[in-house]
This record gives sequence, C-alpha cells and structure tokens, in this order.
Amino acid sequence: MRGPRAAMYLVLVAFSASVTPPAEARIKLITLPVRQRVEIQLDHPDVTLVEEERVVPLIKGLNQVDFSWANTSIDPNTLVFRVVVQGRDDATSSDEPDAAKSPEVQVLSVSYPPGESALVWQVSASESGSALVRISYLLGNLTKSFNYRAVVSRDEQILVLRQYMRLQNQANEEFDTTSVWAGFGPQFLKPIGLNETKEMLMHKYEGVPVQKAYTCDPTEFGYLDQAQNKLRVPMHYVLQNDKRHQLGLAPLQFGKVRIFQEDRQGSTAFLGEDWGKFTPLDDEMRLYVGTAQDIVVQRTIEKNEQHRVAGNLYNVDVVVKYEIENFKDQAVTLDLVESIQQIRAEVYRDTGRDVEWQLGGETTFAGGPDAEKSTYDRQVFHAELPARGADSKAQKIVHKLHLILKNEW
Amino acid sequence: MRITPFCLLLSALSVLLAPVASAKNVDLSTVPDRDSVQLTIYNSEDLTLVRETRKISFKPGVNPLQFSWANTLIDPTSVELRFLTSADQLDVLDTTFPHDKPQMLYWNVQSEMNGEALVEITYFTSGISWAADYLGICNAEESSMHLESFVRVTNNSGEDYDEAQVRLVVGTINLTEKIAQLAQIPVAQVEELSKEQRRELRFKAVRSLALPAGAMGGGADESADFAAPKEIIKEGLSEYFLYTVAGTESIPSGWSKRMRSFEKAAVPMKTRYRFRPAEYGDQLVRLYLMTNDEESTLGETPLPDGTVRLFRDNGRDGLSFVAAQNIRYIPIGDKIELNLGPDPEVICEWVKLKSWRSQVWMQINGADVFRRVDDNRVEIDVNSTVAGWDDHTLFTQRIRNYSSRPIEVEFRRPLPGHIVFRSPFAATTYDYQTVEYQAQVPAGEKADLRCEVIQHQGRNAKQNNVTLEPVEQL
Repeated sequence: MRGPRAAMYLVLVAFSASVTPPAEARIKLITLPVRQRVEIQLDHPDVTLVEEERVVPLIKGLNQVDFSWANTSIDPNTLVFRVVVQGRDDATSSDEPDAAKSPEVQVLSVSYPPGESALVWQVSASESGSALVRISYLLGNLTKSFNYRAVVSRDEQILVLRQYMRLQNQANEEFDTTSVWAGFGPQFLKPIGLNETKEMLMHKYEGVPVQKAYTCDPTEFGYLDQAQNKLRVPMHYVLQNDKRHQLGLAPLQFGKVRIFQEDRQGSTAFLGEDWGKFTPLDDEMRLYVGTAQDIVVQRTIEKNEQHRVAGNLYNVDVVVKYEIENFKDQAVTLDLVESIQQIRAEVYRDTGRDVEWQLGGETTFAGGPDAEKSTYDRQVFHAELPARGADSKAQKIVHKLHLILKNEW
Repeated sequence: MRITPFCLLLSALSVLLAPVASAKNVDLSTVPDRDSVQLTIYNSEDLTLVRETRKISFKPGVNPLQFSWANTLIDPTSVELRFLTSADQLDVLDTTFPHDKPQMLYWNVQSEMNGEALVEITYFTSGISWAADYLGICNAEESSMHLESFVRVTNNSGEDYDEAQVRLVVGTINLTEKIAQLAQIPVAQVEELSKEQRRELRFKAVRSLALPAGAMGGGADESADFAAPKEIIKEGLSEYFLYTVAGTESIPSGWSKRMRSFEKAAVPMKTRYRFRPAEYGDQLVRLYLMTNDEESTLGETPLPDGTVRLFRDNGRDGLSFVAAQNIRYIPIGDKIELNLGPDPEVICEWVKLKSWRSQVWMQINGADVFRRVDDNRVEIDVNSTVAGWDDHTLFTQRIRNYSSRPIEVEFRRPLPGHIVFRSPFAATTYDYQTVEYQAQVPAGEKADLRCEVIQHQGRNAKQNNVTLEPVEQL
C-alpha cells in the first residue's frame, strides 16, 4: 500500500501593494509552475541533492514565490533559489522563457512561516515576464547503493564485471523523466516512481584479469583444524582497480558482488557472493569465494629457544614450519602471511612493545618476504606448489620461517 | 489580524491619585499606537532590546500610565520610559509593579504641560533571535567561490513587530540573568528563585509560546518598481559589530525571515589537505581556505558564527553538494577554513616499516649501577634488569593522489615522549611534541616520505619533547 503522497508546490502569489498580507493570503493561487527539468545528484556519499527547474511568471515589482511540501524530507535550510543564467545554449525546451525577454530578477528575502513545511521567497522583477529558476535542496529517503555481478570465464583467467547503481525512492515524491548522476559514470534519464527501486547499469567492464589468491593467515583466517595444526586456506578473486587491468575508471564503491562462472552448457553457475569494499584507484578488491580444501597446510612451531643477552633481556630463536600439499590438478601459488607480533605472543608473550626482529638463516622462502605487500608486522611469503602427480599423490612441500626476536623482556 | 498583547493605557483617573491597586476601575483609557519600533537583536544571548516611540497627550498634574505585556517575554526590570519631547516639563514620579498582575506596571507622570509629547519606551525581551548562515558555490576548478551571507531573524517572542527597524549585534555580551527567566516572574521575586526553578520557568515559557500564523510583511519598498535586495549596513561598536537592515521589516510572531547580508561573486580560494588529529580527527581531510580580507573581496565585516553550506559547480550545468559546516566568528583579516572531510581520491597511510632497539641499559639488581648491553668491554651481570632503551621505528608517510589535480598536503603529527625525529625532508616543530611537514603530490602520483622516530624509553627518557635531526637518506 502506498504511503501518503508528497505534495510539493511552487506557488506564485500576487503581492498586493501597501497591505501586509495575512498568512492565509499566501494561499492565493495565481499559477502553479510545473517542473521543467529535474536532476538527482548522488555524488555525495551521504546525501542526495535534487535540482529542479521551473518557469515562473512574474509581474513587474514584488512577487512572492511560495514553495511548500508535505510528507517529504526536504531540508529547508539547504534550499537554494537561483535564477538560471539566461540565454543558455542548451535551452531546447520551447517552454523555457526567451532570454532576451526575461526580466531581471532579484531574490530579496526568504520567509519561513510557523509550523509549516514551506517558505516564501520575495522576488523582485524588472518587468513582467517569465523567468527560469532552479531550486536545489537536499532530499532524504532517496538513497543509492551499488552492487556488482561478476561472471568468471571457465579458466578463471578473466571476468566480466557489471556495476549497478540501485536507487531507492522512499522520499514520497515521484519524478517524471529525471536526470540521475552518481558523480561518475553515465547520466541516466529515467522516470522514478513512488516507492520505486530502480537499478541501472553503471558500467560493464569486460576482460578484467582475475587472480586467484590462496592465502593462509593464522591471525586473520585461523585454523581449519587446530588440533592437527591445519590452517584454513581461503580462495579470493583479486581485481586490481587500474586501467592496466581493464578497470580504473573510478573508485569501486562498496557493494555486494555476486560471482558466477561460465559452465559447459553455455550458462553460468553461482559461485557465491561477498561484500566488495570501497576500492580506490590502484588498490585491489579481494572477493572471498570459499575455502580451498584441496590445499592442506600444516603449521607447527619447530623451534623456540631463548638466549639470555643480559639479566632479564633475551633473544628468541623461532622456526615456524609449514608442510604443504596441493591436491589440485594445477600448480598454484600460496600466500603465507604471518603477524610477527602474533608469533611472539605464541612463543614468548605479548609485551606490548614493538617487536625487533630479523630473518634467520633457516628461512626457506626464496627471495624473502614480498616487499610490496609486507609491512613491519605483517609479512607475506609466496610458496609455489606443483600440481598433484599422475598417481594422484601430492608432493609435500616444506617451508620454514626462521625469526630472531631481539631484545625481549 | 492579531491583537497585540501590548497595551499602553493612559488612564483618566480621579483628581485624587488613588493607590494604584484601586485604580483598576478606570472609566476611560486611551491606547496610543506605536509610532516607530526598533529591535536590536543579540545572537550570543536570547536578548533583544526593543525601543519604541509613541505619542501621548498629557494634562497638567499627575498622569498615570499603565504598561502591560501579557503573554510576551519582556524582562519587567528593564522597562524604561523616556520623554523625547517636552522633557523639561515631564517627569516620572514613580513606577509600580502591582502584585496581582505580574505583566504590568504603572508610571505616574508629573506634567507641567497640557498637550502631546513623544515618549520612548525601551525594554529587553527574549524570544527574538538571529543567526547568520552562508551559501558558497565554488567553481568547477575549485579556484574561486560565489559566497553569499545571510541573516535570519526568528520571532518567537509572542509579539508581532510591524515595520520595525532591525539591528543585529555580532559579538558576545555578558548577562547575569536570562531574560526569559526574568520575563516570567514578578520583579520582586527574581532573586528568590533557585537555579532549577529558573530553568523550569524558562522551559515552560518556550513551550507555551503559541506560534500563531502571523502575517509576513514585505517590509521592503512595496511599490511596483524593481527592487534590489536591502543593504545591511555594518559598523563597529566597541567589541561588537552592528548590522542595521535598511528600511523596516515586519516579523510576525512565529515567523522567521532570511535576508542577504552580502554577496561576493568570486572569492579566491585554495584547496589544501591536512592531517591534524587534534583539529580534524585521525584522518586526512580536504579544506577550502579563504581569507576575510579586501584582497579576497571580503573584509568588510567579521563573519558571525553560522552554518556554511557548500556546493560545487559540477561542470554539467548543475550543483554538487559538498558539505555543511558551522564556522565560528571570523574577524576581519582572519582565515576561513572549511573542512570538507576525507577525499576518497587521496589516500594517506602512515606505514611502519621496521622497528629495532639500541642503547639498552641494564641496572644491577639492588644497586645503583648501570651497564650498557652493547658495550663489549663491560661484564654483563645476570642479576640485572633492563632500565633504559631507545626504540627506533622506521615509518613512511605515503600519499596517493588519484585526483586530477596536484595537491598540497600538510601534516601536523603529535609524537609524545622523548623523541628524536630523523628525516631527509624538511620538518619543523609546531610545539614541543608535534612535528610539521609538507608534501606536494602531482596528479595521479604517490609520494613516500620516510622518517625514523627514536623514542628514548625508561631511564633513557630525560625529556618530554621532540628534537629534529635532518639526515641525508633513510
């Protein structure tokens, strides 16, 4: 059932000279200028700006233009009344006033009646005639959100990403053909009905390279089976938001991503969905697809030795061992992520101080940590895992991370 | 038409001046109209000085005058009567506040004349307020701003003011009592009220204010000629600024009216990015910066407290809403800073790259003896405890600019403790524990500013301040 319809009126009231009109006299209707054009600006993250243009007939001298609304969440403090610069090149509507004949218009003051959702502009016109005015205001309950549909190719090398904007109109106001703009992407020209939700395709990104990332991170993803020291290995699709990867037109807005994969029947199968975080240009969007159970990683602390430096001051020698088996048909790269603070808490204790550490000689990861993705505390290593053999047996790969935690007490 | 609750009655009483209490059964009263009224409205307090003039006929002898203000918010202690004409022949003998009629007083005026005189009545009322607000529309290049300043007068005093001259005071005045409190009680009882009672009275007064639909007069020149917006004349007044609205305004009770104070077509502005946790929170924010001076086409008046609503020309024949922000009083010549919040196109990260320790000192347990750990010449006593050390941390201040314009970024980073700040880039101290530095980042590029923070800890910490140490490279 529909809620109460919004009523939004722009009323031009003849100003009777010399007599101050009582409040009731404001309702004296002279004309009800209709909207010529409406734009909905959605480029602000939190609020929606509506701009509408109306042709207002004015008489020479003082005029009162009464703008009132009901059952809508217009913020009256944000109302801006502007006379559009005359003689616009793009003024195509025959209803628009002729620039040469338009009077000069000045807004003298704005009055706010008590207890009403209304205001009255007092406008002075140099001549009798029509003026094209633009009224802008922030309107509540007209909201936007974003969502995505990703279709991954059979070989999971590329995907097609469609970005949609969903406009929800709970503002109790309906808009005829209206220009809608999100601050980026195309400008839509659509009617938006009362309580209507409209979903619009913002952009279709084709041939987007997708990277499958297998990651084990005991701090973030934990264990699949802690009793057996087996780490959880989630698989993410990683999209790089830059032009080299067929994206990079604008930051990717927060929204739900539904992921499908092409199947052999020429259709698609639903793989899952995840919330895509706001992704600035050049950043990566990671979409969790599921846990990879064909990659088994067992993590154990192989060595934990404390060496006194002096008094209560110690160095701690730690070796973390990873035994990894890949039961997949393809070779994959596994990302092993460790928090050094977390390792210290496991083998020593959390002292609250920064960890002073260095890699020990027993570390087996070729090339050491990934310099670009690692930070002081979060170290990222890569392990290349061959596909399982012809006999269906997986080769066990063993890697070690040797850390010397220095000057602990 | 509303009936004004104000009454000024000139009472024709018996020759013998009876006590005021018994004078209520008067036979004849005249109600002289206001000739003019002036409102001086203060925005720092709920206070308006009303100055009105009326013509009154006096006869020789004692003339009782009754002044009442039912259902309004007038401070009875502030009502004054002054004679603007024939002052040498007229005198106020006494003023009486009757005990049974709290919103009324009587003046007994001794007249040496028989005829008309112009009197001025002044009083404080509450319920009329004014506030400034601003509308800024910056151009698409964000290099200049169309700035309009408005004043909005709201009348909730319970009294209609027709054709009033309106003056607005910018500044903070001192009041010992709130006018709304004083308006609600007889003058004799003001001192007897507790703070709570006064607060309750004020609350009731505001709640009980009816907002009758009044008329909103034009106030402007109501001829059929084309009119420009009224000028608002600004002048300095001691520690305040006085805005006088040209002509008169009619503001019925319950209404508010917004008038333009000034309009500037192109105020030059700059865009800056700042990281200042104490001012803007722990985030990098974008600011529009202007100056309230002549060079910026401003500087005619201080800018009173008010809300600035900012829009930007979106380059597509429309506006984009940018932000709404309250500004505090900005004196002439001072800076105007408008905080737009974080910019999603500019990413700022403070990344810790490495941490290590040096200068570790051990204290021999039970003795006032200290030894440094890395000094190979000394013997390390097992029975000792860490007593002092230096924490070294290598950071990078990373800024990624994905906007289409080069940006300037200013950092003000607090570093509490005994700190040495080592950097290959220029840095200064803002105060004893805050480091300042800047960066310019071209469009579409990123900058990495590496620095090392050394914090003396334990017994190594001798001060609580920052020392800057320039280095060639990190």
